[in-house]
Amino acid sequence: MKTTLAKILVYMMVALAFSSCNDFLTREPYDSINPDNLTSSDDVVAMVNGAYQPLQWAKLYNMRIWTLDIIAGNSVVGAGGGEDGIETIQMADFIADSENFAALDLWRGPSPGILRCNMVLQSIETVPMEESLRTRCFGEVSFLRAHYYFILVRLFGGVPKITEPQKVGEDGSIPKQKRASADEIYELIISDLENAIGALPYKSEYATNDLGRATKEAAMAELARVYLTRGENYNRVVQLCEDIEARGYDLCDDYSDNFTIAGKNGPESIFEVQYYGKTNADFWADENQSSWLSTYTGPRNSNMVAGGWGWNQPTAEFVAQYEDGDQRFDKTVLHTNGPAFDGMYYNSSWSTTGYNLRKFLVSKGESPDFDTSAANWVVTRFADVLLMKAEALNELGRTTDAEVPLYRVRSRAGLTDRSTIEGLTKDQMREKIFHERRIELAFEGHRWYDLVRRGYDYAREFFYSIGKTNFTQKNMLFPIPLEEMEANELLEQNPGY
Amino acid sequence: MKNQRRPFLTALALLLFTFAGNAAEFTGNVTDESGEPLIGVNILEQGTTNGTITDLDGNFTLLSDNAAANLEVSYMGYTSQTVAAKEGAPVNVVLVEETTELDDLVVIGYGVQRKSDLTGSIAQVNSETLGKNQKANLGDALQGRAPGLQIVSSGSPGSNVSMNIRGIGSILGSSPLLVIDGVPTDVQLNMLNMEDIESVDVLKDASATAIYGSRGAYGVVIITTKKGQKGEGKNNLSLKASYGVDQITRTLPLLNASQFASLHNEMMTAGGRAQYPGYEDPPSLGAGTDWVSAMTQLGQTQNYSLNYSGGTKALNYYVSGSYLKQTGVIKTTEYERFTMQANMDADIFKWLSAGVNLSLNHDIKSQGEYNLLNAMLALPTQEMYNEDGTWAGPDGLAMYVGDIANPIGKMTENTQCTKGYNLLGNTYLEIKPWEFLTFKSLLGVQALFWDQENWTPAYDWKPIATPESQASRQYNKSLTLLWDNTLTFMKTFAGKHHVNAMIGTSAQVNDYEYLSGRVQGFVSETAQQMNNGILNPIVGGSRSEWSLFSIIARASYNYDNRYYITATVREDGSSRFAPQNRWGTFPSVSLAWRPTQESFYTPNRVLGDFKLRFGYGITGNQASVGNYAYASTVQTIQYVFNGTQVNAVAPLVMPNPNVRWEQVEQINLGFDASMGDDRLKLTVDGYYKNTNDMLVNMSVPISTGYSDVYTTQINAGSMLNAGVEVGITSFNFVGDFQWTTTINFAYNYNEITALSDGVPIYFDNNVNAVGHPVNSFYGYVTDGIFQNQEEIDNHAIQTVGSNKYSSTQPGDIRFKDLNSDGVIDENDRTFLGSPTPSWTFSINNTFSFYGFDLEIFFSGVAGNKIYNGNRASLEAMSVAQNQLVTTLDRWTGEGTSNDMPRAVFGDPNRNNRVSDRFIEDGSFLRLKNLSLGYTLPKHITQKAAMQSVRFYVSGQNLFTITKYTGLEPEVGGSGNDLNVYPVSRSVTVGANITF
Repeated sequence: MKTTLAKILVYMMVALAFSSCNDFLTREPYDSINPDNLTSSDDVVAMVNGAYQPLQWAKLYNMRIWTLDIIAGNSVVGAGGGEDGIETIQMADFIADSENFAALDLWRGPSPGILRCNMVLQSIETVPMEESLRTRCFGEVSFLRAHYYFILVRLFGGVPKITEPQKVGEDGSIPKQKRASADEIYELIISDLENAIGALPYKSEYATNDLGRATKEAAMAELARVYLTRGENYNRVVQLCEDIEARGYDLCDDYSDNFTIAGKNGPESIFEVQYYGKTNADFWADENQSSWLSTYTGPRNSNMVAGGWGWNQPTAEFVAQYEDGDQRFDKTVLHTNGPAFDGMYYNSSWSTTGYNLRKFLVSKGESPDFDTSAANWVVTRFADVLLMKAEALNELGRTTDAEVPLYRVRSRAGLTDRSTIEGLTKDQMREKIFHERRIELAFEGHRWYDLVRRGYDYAREFFYSIGKTNFTQKNMLFPIPLEEMEANELLEQNPGY
Repeated sequence: MKNQRRPFLTALALLLFTFAGNAAEFTGNVTDESGEPLIGVNILEQGTTNGTITDLDGNFTLLSDNAAANLEVSYMGYTSQTVAAKEGAPVNVVLVEETTELDDLVVIGYGVQRKSDLTGSIAQVNSETLGKNQKANLGDALQGRAPGLQIVSSGSPGSNVSMNIRGIGSILGSSPLLVIDGVPTDVQLNMLNMEDIESVDVLKDASATAIYGSRGAYGVVIITTKKGQKGEGKNNLSLKASYGVDQITRTLPLLNASQFASLHNEMMTAGGRAQYPGYEDPPSLGAGTDWVSAMTQLGQTQNYSLNYSGGTKALNYYVSGSYLKQTGVIKTTEYERFTMQANMDADIFKWLSAGVNLSLNHDIKSQGEYNLLNAMLALPTQEMYNEDGTWAGPDGLAMYVGDIANPIGKMTENTQCTKGYNLLGNTYLEIKPWEFLTFKSLLGVQALFWDQENWTPAYDWKPIATPESQASRQYNKSLTLLWDNTLTFMKTFAGKHHVNAMIGTSAQVNDYEYLSGRVQGFVSETAQQMNNGILNPIVGGSRSEWSLFSIIARASYNYDNRYYITATVREDGSSRFAPQNRWGTFPSVSLAWRPTQESFYTPNRVLGDFKLRFGYGITGNQASVGNYAYASTVQTIQYVFNGTQVNAVAPLVMPNPNVRWEQVEQINLGFDASMGDDRLKLTVDGYYKNTNDMLVNMSVPISTGYSDVYTTQINAGSMLNAGVEVGITSFNFVGDFQWTTTINFAYNYNEITALSDGVPIYFDNNVNAVGHPVNSFYGYVTDGIFQNQEEIDNHAIQTVGSNKYSSTQPGDIRFKDLNSDGVIDENDRTFLGSPTPSWTFSINNTFSFYGFDLEIFFSGVAGNKIYNGNRASLEAMSVAQNQLVTTLDRWTGEGTSNDMPRAVFGDPNRNNRVSDRFIEDGSFLRLKNLSLGYTLPKHITQKAAMQSVRFYVSGQNLFTITKYTGLEPEVGGSGNDLNVYPVSRSVTVGANITF
């Protein structure tokens, strides 16, 4: 009996050891989808939607892109003082090094978008789906990939050119790539944008629920901006702008309507980053669906809006740029003699400069808490296209023709004395247009790009004029973050850092 | 331990006898360890039939023909002794109670072994040692008790210590595996009632831990709970109660309101800003608000424990219950714990036995939103309350009045609570078909439930209000099941060949799930349930699993207690790895030799026993690998088009299909020696430990588009730990007055020997880099202060600019241009020391005399650095925050200071960057425990039907010798002292009563 018992025990253990072991050890994730399963058209659309999402991040339009206006000298951080916003303060003082985490954020923002685009591009040909939808999806990710690379190339210069998802090598090696030249990146951007223009529908062809997706016009405006940045192909720029004009865009009657929740995706809107307001996601997480703008830029200690963290305080120098009678001043800047916001009058002691930003504020009625604002961020709007057209016309020597779109923008602001922009030389007109861009598009994230695309001497002169004498040639580009330099030893740092 | 052999004295006695040649009378007294007389003890003259017994006072008189003789002293339940006696010299014998079987045995994992048969490096801490320390937390009580086990205490009530065995073995953490009554577990040590612990065995070297295979790499701590004793008359009921007060060990002197205002005025002027009118007349501001005093208090600890144990011939049992309540030295921090333990073993038949161990625990940890650093930084010029009684806060420009919301208000209004409900248990069946063969099947279960609750009321805080009240909850559930089956063969052949072999399997699976929710807009602040909130509800939740299947085997052979060999192997399969990397093999072998058992060796009093041990093994670690690290996944997120939400998916983590175990290869060489009639015991171990295929977080280039923050792990590095451990126990005095000294010390050398592509990993103020210790500090090196413009001009460029408010000026810190390129930038940083101590040591002296017992226990560490992050803010002098009084000695003009820089708003020179300015020596020696107890004499307690009554008073951390200037040198982690809850000093009184 004992022997039998012992035998049974041994058999039991052996059986336990070798039967169904692999089943026992196979545990699939519960809350995640395997990307190999992206086989349906719904999956592809979901991945395309995912490719838009990094636009919402604080690393891009929810914060870092608008802080470029601080670096460009339109405003100061303000905020809580001390270490609050120190990374932006250092950037704006041109003492930032490669450890600066504002630069790190801007480096971190676009690449996940590019990866998502590449994942779609990798599988879009093979997934069975409706042809028109396939074309649209192809167009959307082509636009987005160009958009992300365009941010990178302007801020950092040439970056690794990555057009397909990266994988750990068979030998366990981590994928790394050298920086491509800025020209190579621009080549990719231009070809992606041409693809997008070819594939995307017009804004008017989208259903209301799909407003906010990339449109043919958005890709055209983007391409126009690329050429202006490069200082080339002005004829094409004019053509692109005219094609957009022909699609029935118009300036909003009220400049402010571009930035309200009610006015999102309106008649002037060409491309916007969409926000929902309150959602499941944490305010600080990448998945956050609420706009930070009003929360961050509302005057600190004022209780004027939910949040109210006092960021982005316009400087006196910037305020002095407004011409008399410019209606945009009251709509952009909170100042002592300005109209009330949501029934409250401004107190200049809320700011270190005496001014705060008004342009993006959302009333507490619309956004009761700091993480509930549903306002969109406007990336490109028709006024910008008009100013791009004016710029291209002027560069082509058609200075008088440039007056027309320029005047259209100015007259909406109440600056209806056309003589102030008439009879200018090409150089004068260029200054006039850039001045107009600085005012019209103030705090919308364009100023930094507009300064550096004019060249080092121009930018240096401006920064010296506002007392920022630390500005040197190296500051034309941001430092490649140290963390990235260390993760990828193939990268070369930008000169001077 | 008692003088057993005294050949010299015996010889002397024989010599005397030769001269005397007369009949003699031996007298003496026999007591137990507590000094109580033992009645009826047998006294027998060795080699004769001449004997007697002790009387009511424990005294005896024995007449003999010999002038000197060896007397055999024996008594039921006590260890017999032989003592030398001669006429006219009364002998005092202290009999030691026979220890239970368990004390001689060491738990080695899937079995036990006699201490003398051990071949691996294992340290044991028993309940007696633990009981001396009146700390509520077992982890804290283990500090300094076992050489090579490094423990960093944590100050806040209900929090846990961090443990490392033989240094930090891996960048991603190297906590030892915790096994409670045979069940590998992830419960926290503070969940256990210390009274329930019989012993803690610390398995250190690979030959000891390889039986735990893929989880044994960084040591194993095996906890065994108490059992009752089989047999009649061994029942006892024991009650313990204690009460203690805790005090913050040190507060840092801060500026008062007028001193702060002067500093602020100076700072603003230097920064080119207008001074704040409110600070115009500093002396008028007086002392101002003392935020730190308002945040701290005397803490209290109450601890009650009751247990009953006993048995019958075929059954033993132990049941206990305990209650603990602590209030911390920071207000609002509280911990409450209830525990129950029930253990039972039963012999059902001669060949069948079964048992159960069950531990239940409920604890509540609550706290307000406290922030001690903010209390130090808050301005003394700020009032605590507004006139209407509400909490006041900074109202005005942050650069003038600061930006810290009322720290006392936040602590009082915003609350957080974690409740734990834990069950840990196992039940086993043991079948012994023959005496030499045992089959054991054990089912273990660990069910952990913990809830987190947060409450934030709507409040008009300055500078930023909380507009909506908010409550959040998270419910977590973790269920682990274990099934172990082992077959053990144990037999001695021909009296000399001892064989012990075991094979078995182990299967373990864990399922973790959580559900969280948050809601805002509460109608009434008193109704804080989720139902009462009406705005913005959100929910979240997730679930994950892991499983482990193992085949284990061990064989030990011992020839005549002279030569020992043990070999183990474990084959582990883990769900955390891709099928091709799923299985790992972890072997070990160890040898031992006891030359003192050889026939050529004559046992003597100088060296009674000596054992030489050697061990080698390979163990693994998978704790730092994510549950699905190898698999490609995408996460579900959202986007929105024109106000309509849409589903979106996105890849987040770059998968690493190649991820596999971390492997640790370890050699151990050591010896155990017993000298001077067993009066001096010495254990020495040396080890050399290599962590290969070290798991590090993959350093993913951001440009790949995958997260550089949420990364999977990659086997890409190696680390070396080598060291020596010494444990010395000396029985200086035995008898009525006992004095025992225990000295433990350990030295560990740590170095990272390889990393993925050699790329350093930076985090906080630390770096992991090849050729340096793990978590080394990294930063700039200061070189005094620029006294004048000329010195600035002659030095490398720090912060350029013609604007004196935003560039380097006299009074700023000079940083060394380490690469001599004329510019101070990130390339001028260097390694600034290691946060991990290379030396850990403790000295314990215990005394007992006539019912009194005294313990004086020191422990300390040396060779580590601390980054004083609190001081980095408290001496920053660049924003409107209060500062330490040390800033009164700041630079105010040429020659005024060469270490404390000027005060300047905005810190243009970045004087406060991470540099050796804030790195300090973290070595310390502290009086960890001083306790004095008194046990009432037996004849008194027996009258009250009690077995023993002991009262004691004890002090913990009464003083600490350290050069560190922060609150507490025990900061843990990577050595960054930033807002760490300080370890406190405490005094406890208590009583232990056994019926």
